[in-house]
Amino acid sequence: MASSEEERVPATNSAPSEVAVLPQKEEGDSTAQSSGKKKPSPLEKGGTLRGEAAEGKDPSPAALGKKSSAVSGEKFEDPRWKNGNWDMTKFVKNGKMDWDAVIDAEVLRRKWLEENPEASSNDDPVLFDTATVPWWAWVRRFHLPEAELLNGRAAMVGFFAAYLIDSLTGVGLVDQTNSFFGKLLLLITVVGILLVRKNEDLETIKTLVKESTFYDKQWQATWKDSEEQQKK
Amino acid sequence: MASALQGILGTPSTRRVCEQSLEQGAGNAGNRLQSCQISVRSSHLSAACLSGRSKLFLAASTPSLTRNSRPGLRILAAAGSKKLGNRKLRVAVIGGGPAGGCAAETLAKNGIETFLIERKMDNAKPCGGAIPLCMVGEFDLPLDIIDRKVTKMKMISPSNVAVDVGKTLNENEYIGMVRREVLDSYLRERAASFGANLVNGLFLRMEMPSDANAPYVLHYNLYKPGSSVGVPATMEVDAVIGADGANSRVAKDIDAGDYDYAIAFQERIKIPDDKMVYYENLAEMYVGDDVSPDFYGWVFPKCDHVAVGTGTVINKPAIKKYQVATRHRARDKIAGGKIIRVEAHPIPEHPRPRRVRDRVALVGDAAGYVTKCSGEGIYFAAKSGRMCAEAIVEGSEKGVRMINEADLRSYLKKWDTKYWPTYKVLDILQKVFYRSNPAREAFVELCADEYVQKMTFDSYLYKTVVPGNPLDDIKLAVNTIGSLIRANALRKEARKAVLT
Repeated sequence: MASSEEERVPATNSAPSEVAVLPQKEEGDSTAQSSGKKKPSPLEKGGTLRGEAAEGKDPSPAALGKKSSAVSGEKFEDPRWKNGNWDMTKFVKNGKMDWDAVIDAEVLRRKWLEENPEASSNDDPVLFDTATVPWWAWVRRFHLPEAELLNGRAAMVGFFAAYLIDSLTGVGLVDQTNSFFGKLLLLITVVGILLVRKNEDLETIKTLVKESTFYDKQWQATWKDSEEQQKK
Repeated sequence: MASALQGILGTPSTRRVCEQSLEQGAGNAGNRLQSCQISVRSSHLSAACLSGRSKLFLAASTPSLTRNSRPGLRILAAAGSKKLGNRKLRVAVIGGGPAGGCAAETLAKNGIETFLIERKMDNAKPCGGAIPLCMVGEFDLPLDIIDRKVTKMKMISPSNVAVDVGKTLNENEYIGMVRREVLDSYLRERAASFGANLVNGLFLRMEMPSDANAPYVLHYNLYKPGSSVGVPATMEVDAVIGADGANSRVAKDIDAGDYDYAIAFQERIKIPDDKMVYYENLAEMYVGDDVSPDFYGWVFPKCDHVAVGTGTVINKPAIKKYQVATRHRARDKIAGGKIIRVEAHPIPEHPRPRRVRDRVALVGDAAGYVTKCSGEGIYFAAKSGRMCAEAIVEGSEKGVRMINEADLRSYLKKWDTKYWPTYKVLDILQKVFYRSNPAREAFVELCADEYVQKMTFDSYLYKTVVPGNPLDDIKLAVNTIGSLIRANALRKEARKAVLT
């Protein structure tokens, strides 16, 4: 192993002087703020996030080579995991393929690896592809439980909206669905119900919209400059 | 008429000059056409053209600048940027990396008096060192500059699903790995061979000119050969190209503004020969929250060792932890290796708010021309240096006339038009696929697809966005959404699962 005992920062380092010296931060201190009016170091500016946004993004202790007490053993082991793939014959129940069990097994494997990242190995490559589990197994497992909830919401919103529009405009339900505007509203409602399932989803959508144009604004900043000069 | 002129002529300084010689030139239309090229929005162009009341001369457009504008609608307002008389235009290029070297070469080739100021002539800038295939052809690089031709890449997901990328390359296609000290000095020497003056000095600051024809005064420390002590010196030039990298002093002097940057941390590790065989022409990319929250960890083969590194924007203080995690992931493949060098450098994430001011332009890393997702900068630095120099050559008519900000803005316009789609696509890829572990799993799954590999390599190696087969595109879109949904679903389940 390229062990950390041998790591030494050589005296001559061709990195630009501002970045070459990395301050030694203690474990778990990566989001600490330097107090006082000191000029921020290069590690604290340039897009570094603080607090919650950066928290939880440090590599786990296991990634750093420290074993976590929750899990025993060094590598992920499971009798059904052979040669970097799930052995499909082990998942047969009552003569039929039990896809739910495959999904459960993969969930556990990924969770294990997230907490204890393993070294990737050439002799033992991982070959599993989630596409081997058929699409209907995914739908049955993840969408159907929520389908009832979503359909219920859509029905309630649709009924209330139809009632409201009828009372405001006198247009009945059949005529509403015949109009183009009515169909458009129906589509928006259905898509809205699918996308916005929790309150946090609204915030997520707002952030996504902002993000999608942020990069463009950064590029066009230099042209705003010339526009202002033109107006003078 | 005045308002049409106002809309077209842009910055105040050019407007004064243009109006003055319009009055002169209106009388002798057939005689000398003094031209000043102004970059304009095409909407203004058409409004003025069709108004019929403007007396601006429509001249045949020179080919090199009109590749991207509508034919026939470019207006060359009769104007007088001052003719320089008995001397050539003087341009200083600060920084002797790929951007500076290519800029100086183009300027010197076209007869402009060029000064290339570089603080360390044997600088080995910490860098990934990968150049696309098109760079070799476009910049006439000799093949012995390339240490290694990488033809295979391995993408490794957070759960160690490893995908081989590169099956679609033919035997003439590769990613070139170069040593920066070799590439940079080759480009600089070539510029010098065309007549550029190489100055070994550290640029300190510059004084802004008092008017449109006054020179910039550059203050720098000159290093005479054999001496490590700098002697303060000054230089007067008409224009400056800032090619001095991510911590650009030229950018500070012109108030170009700040940008977000990633810190890239890299360790050069000499591994045993039998392990080096695996990395003969293969590079690896590791993705995962343990390796970086918003970038990737890499193992790139260099001349006789490998460079193992990682980078991040949002959690820079933890970069050393990410490096340990990266080494851990590649542990078996670099076992027995010795760290021979540690280096770190900033990588800009987006262009600076202001890239041009008066007669100073920024190119390369100083301007922030590094793509997202892959962090590629060498090719874009070289290309922007060349484009900026070409704009100066054009605007000064090979060094005969003084230039102004509009000439430099035409370089910005050309650059933005040509490369904006590339940058935007990579930004979208980064936002979608580097977001979280499920997204990275989906990313690696998608990379197994041959169509994806072909499109990725074509756009990387040749720097053109080639439209593929629409049916394949639709299939790819469906697969992308499917992979993302599956990976996220597994992640959500994981929150409920308990490890035994």
